[in-house]
Amino acid sequence: MTMLTETPLPPPDRWWRSRTMRRFLRNRLAMVGVALIVGLTLACFVGPYLLPFDDLYIDLRARFAPPGTGAHIFGTDPLGRDIAARLFQAGQISLLVGFFAMLMSTVVGTVVGVVAGFRGGWMGAVLMRVVDAFLSFPSIFLLLALAAFIEPSPIMITIIIAVTSWMEVARIVEAEVKSLRDRDFVMAARMLGLPAWQIMFRELLPNVIGPIIVAATLTVARAILLEAYVSFLGYGIQPPLPSWGNMLNGAQQYLDKAPWLAIVPGLAITAAVAGFNFIGDGLRDALDARSDQR
Amino acid sequence: MLRYLLLRFWQSIVLLFLVSLIGFMVLNLAPGGPLSQYALTPGMTKEALDRIAEQMGLNRPLPIQYLDWFWNLLQGDWGKSYRDGRPVLEIIGGHLFATLLLMGSSTLVAVLIGTWIGIHSAVRQGSVFDYVTTVGAMVALSIPTFWFGLIAIFVFSLWLGWLPAGNMYTVGDGSAADYAVHLIMPSLVLALVNVATWSRYMRSATLDVMSQDFVRTARAKGLTPRRVLMKHIVGNALVPMITLAGLQLPTLLGGALVTETVFTWPGMGRLFLDSLGYNDYPVVMGLLMFSAVLVLIGNLAADLLVALVDPRIRLE
Amino acid sequence: MTEDNRLTTTRRQALLLMGAAGVTTLVPSLSGLGAAHAQEAPKGQIVLGFSQEPTVFNPHLPHIEVDEGIHYAIFDPLFDVAPDGSFFPLLATEVPTVENGGISADGLNWKITLRDDVKWHDGTPFTAEDVKFTLELLLDPDFRSWRKTGHEHVRNLTVVSPTEITWTMDKPFAPYAAILASTFIVPKHAFEGVADKNEAPFNNAPIGTGAFKWKERVAGDHIELEANADYFGDGPYLERLVVKYIPDLTVLYTQFKTGDIDVVGLQWITPDHYEEARTLADRVVEVVGTATFESLTFNMQRPQFQDLKVRQALYHALDKQAIIDALYYGVPTPTETYMPKESFYFNADLPKHEYDPEKAKALLDEAGWVPGDDGIRVKDGVRLAFTNSTTAGNHLREQAQQFFQQSFKDIGVEMTISNLPPAVMWGDYWMLSQFDSVVVGLNTLTGPDPDTSDFFLSTSSPATGGSGQNTWVYNNPEVDALLKQGGELVAPEERRPVYLKIQEIMRADLPFLPIFQYATIPGWKVGVEGKTPNINNRIDTWNVRSWRWV
Repeated sequence: MTMLTETPLPPPDRWWRSRTMRRFLRNRLAMVGVALIVGLTLACFVGPYLLPFDDLYIDLRARFAPPGTGAHIFGTDPLGRDIAARLFQAGQISLLVGFFAMLMSTVVGTVVGVVAGFRGGWMGAVLMRVVDAFLSFPSIFLLLALAAFIEPSPIMITIIIAVTSWMEVARIVEAEVKSLRDRDFVMAARMLGLPAWQIMFRELLPNVIGPIIVAATLTVARAILLEAYVSFLGYGIQPPLPSWGNMLNGAQQYLDKAPWLAIVPGLAITAAVAGFNFIGDGLRDALDARSDQR
Repeated sequence: MLRYLLLRFWQSIVLLFLVSLIGFMVLNLAPGGPLSQYALTPGMTKEALDRIAEQMGLNRPLPIQYLDWFWNLLQGDWGKSYRDGRPVLEIIGGHLFATLLLMGSSTLVAVLIGTWIGIHSAVRQGSVFDYVTTVGAMVALSIPTFWFGLIAIFVFSLWLGWLPAGNMYTVGDGSAADYAVHLIMPSLVLALVNVATWSRYMRSATLDVMSQDFVRTARAKGLTPRRVLMKHIVGNALVPMITLAGLQLPTLLGGALVTETVFTWPGMGRLFLDSLGYNDYPVVMGLLMFSAVLVLIGNLAADLLVALVDPRIRLE
Repeated sequence: MTEDNRLTTTRRQALLLMGAAGVTTLVPSLSGLGAAHAQEAPKGQIVLGFSQEPTVFNPHLPHIEVDEGIHYAIFDPLFDVAPDGSFFPLLATEVPTVENGGISADGLNWKITLRDDVKWHDGTPFTAEDVKFTLELLLDPDFRSWRKTGHEHVRNLTVVSPTEITWTMDKPFAPYAAILASTFIVPKHAFEGVADKNEAPFNNAPIGTGAFKWKERVAGDHIELEANADYFGDGPYLERLVVKYIPDLTVLYTQFKTGDIDVVGLQWITPDHYEEARTLADRVVEVVGTATFESLTFNMQRPQFQDLKVRQALYHALDKQAIIDALYYGVPTPTETYMPKESFYFNADLPKHEYDPEKAKALLDEAGWVPGDDGIRVKDGVRLAFTNSTTAGNHLREQAQQFFQQSFKDIGVEMTISNLPPAVMWGDYWMLSQFDSVVVGLNTLTGPDPDTSDFFLSTSSPATGGSGQNTWVYNNPEVDALLKQGGELVAPEERRPVYLKIQEIMRADLPFLPIFQYATIPGWKVGVEGKTPNINNRIDTWNVRSWRWV
């Protein structure tokens, strides 16, 4: 995880022709990931307009229709709602929750990491101990404890997922910044009398952007999974709002009668999470200067 | 060494303090409370609930409740459950075996399979096997554990009827064979993610070792590739795995929680969910603290073990 | 209404009993074939499955329904309630009535004669001191008593002899008999020398007089009880009772199907499995009414709900039958009131609900609620929009809720679903009426007694400083007066018209939209006998002393 420290970022105007980018585009798995995510995003945000059903429309006469019944490509749920329509609507929620949770946790993690790494001393120590404290119990425990007592709106769920997933980023950034802290360009900036925040966020931050992007991509995957876990256990996004996780909540009850209720959303989650994982992995390889030699 | 242990000890205490503070705030700042479950009991009145809250000391100022709890904790008293009044530690102890059984058996499976896959894909780097297991591992890491459990139940219990859908043993049976049959599905489901993690780490650790000088020396000495692999590479590649085992503990605990829910496994995970459902704060807090302690000990043990095995590492 | 006929004579005899009827003559018939088998040795075991875990074994600490499953097996009250609402004696030699001198004509002086052949499970003889201790424990300021209602009117508690206890009431209180019928007597000697009664060793190793003795508990898994060979009454017929905790209803049902469980208890078979369960070989499956009714409950303080026409319109917009048939597989019974149809006080002549969205719209039009730009009706600046909450995680109810949402939208009413975790839902949010509307299953009765003052009296709203659970903040002076009257009347025949009238008024006022009376689906293996349902008790094991294998 010490990429980029040797090679400064290429000028922004031709980043798409950079070696990093070329390496990334050559990575087949990463491309599969991109395809999965683009495909899912399109399906979720455009799909609802193409389907003849509303995700909330209840039709008790059409309960438990198996996939392929009439226009119900994925079948219907216990209230006779179209699963495809719900899946896409749910995807919007799950992807947005994942994305914003990533955004929040990345911002928090980066700030904590940069400050802790740059300042060091007691402040750094305290910050990193807080990180350790958060890391020292299973995040799902903390997440559930939070979710059980908070009104479960999508925004709150996003926030609590962020609260339980910013630590990785913080650790990575702290380590990177620490290693850069005594470099010449930082020394120079100090000598010029630049204020600390400028050194931290104007000088140091751009140099650790690579690892942050990798971590952020993997965080999206993680956040989608966490949302699914919490909603599955009944503490996450609440009906009628569908999310991939809460579509699975209760599916266990109908496993013998209507297994598609469980299978379809699970596949969607796996595809989305795998997509982000593939991309994240591809980015890591691409940013790793050594990967050319391997 | 002693200094190092002392330092780690103090750091751990500070950590546990922080963990408890976070946990306590989360539980107690939210609306509602442990008595709300009695609200729908016929004949229950607001007056009665308020009186019971007063008797239980639930309406004292939060900082006082916290200090009271923490002070008792320092003296080894983890509090008592609001549900059945038994000491928290005793309750956790009662659920520990089930969780350790599940975690232990699945870790065993994961380590064996994961190590094997890791070594083989490293040795045959770039082969089809390597590519398939790499992709497979990443997909496995993307599957929600609980969903995998549901699918497993669907296939092996409902469809094929081979394995029981849940529980740790059959009522009235409880023989070792009965436990084993019930253990198969949950431990394999929990192992899936870990196989993926282990194989990935083992692969890169093996690659690291293979590129080092002493391996070349060993090869140059004319040792058979198999001997080199078994004696020099695997042994050395396993060292970082010890650290990984420590780091994996929280994930494993979290995974166990979800797996236990799907398979109605009577372990700590289910205790946690039950206690959350009944707002049994002392037990929830106890479990948070207990898992934190477990994780800290796990990490420390891993660090010590690494230092023991690998003379190049010195603890400072 | 068959039970009415059956009860007429006995109710006459019991004319002056406090609460419901007291009928000692019914006992042999109610314990079933009990008498005939009285000398039979206990044999075999029954595994009873519950989906919640019993954890509170002191029956006077705050507890939930499932805990009573154990209480009934281990303890006895002075007298209990039979399925038909009559009382039968257990620790008392007879149910006190005015006729037998147990209660004075003004209802203030009570005298109870106790059996002299009862022993606690540890061999200590049971005496009137234990009864006195129990009634005092419930009022002990240092004890977390779950219920003081009724007991707080008791004065001059006197042990006359080891088999006789007397007291006076500071005012006539009709429901007290029903309360005593669910007050389990606990042993005084188990608390002697115990500093904090809330943490007595007894609480986790209960000693009772009941048909079964405490054996062991494996927390999170099961509780094992064994036959009390010295039981004073009829039974037990089983050597062992294993109460198994299975937290998942699907697994609970599966284990019943595979035979791991002999009896499916609390939370029972889910409605969606009912059809299949009925066809299982060697299994008996029954639909049993309960005293809990499901309703869409309004917070009457909200401006939207103050107009009766709005409440009527919402009721017309509900397709109750569709919900019952589709989501609940036709298992529960549609109802118009809070009173279970099995009760003596049930009003069968209430107007029947009609599902008629057109009528609903007409009512709203009539009342001046006109659709705004967004299709939602408005009147005097108030939008006909509200939130609806219930416990997050109750799947069937969440489905019903979404169905209501769609039905209301069709008549121009916006209902937003905002479900909460149980800890939040049933805390101040519910108690202090912070909601707009709630879907809730409530049991407003105390056993067989029809008194509902804690729920419907205008002074019982915590939101307006009252005590009780009138979370509707329902305020109708006529109902207040009737409730007061009913609580002071003694004879069931005299009380009945009062409670019929209350139901009639509440059906007209609609502070809640009654949806259905819950029904549960217990099941047991062929060969298990004595598992009689009892609407007056909350739990399957009320008569576990009579359960047996044939």
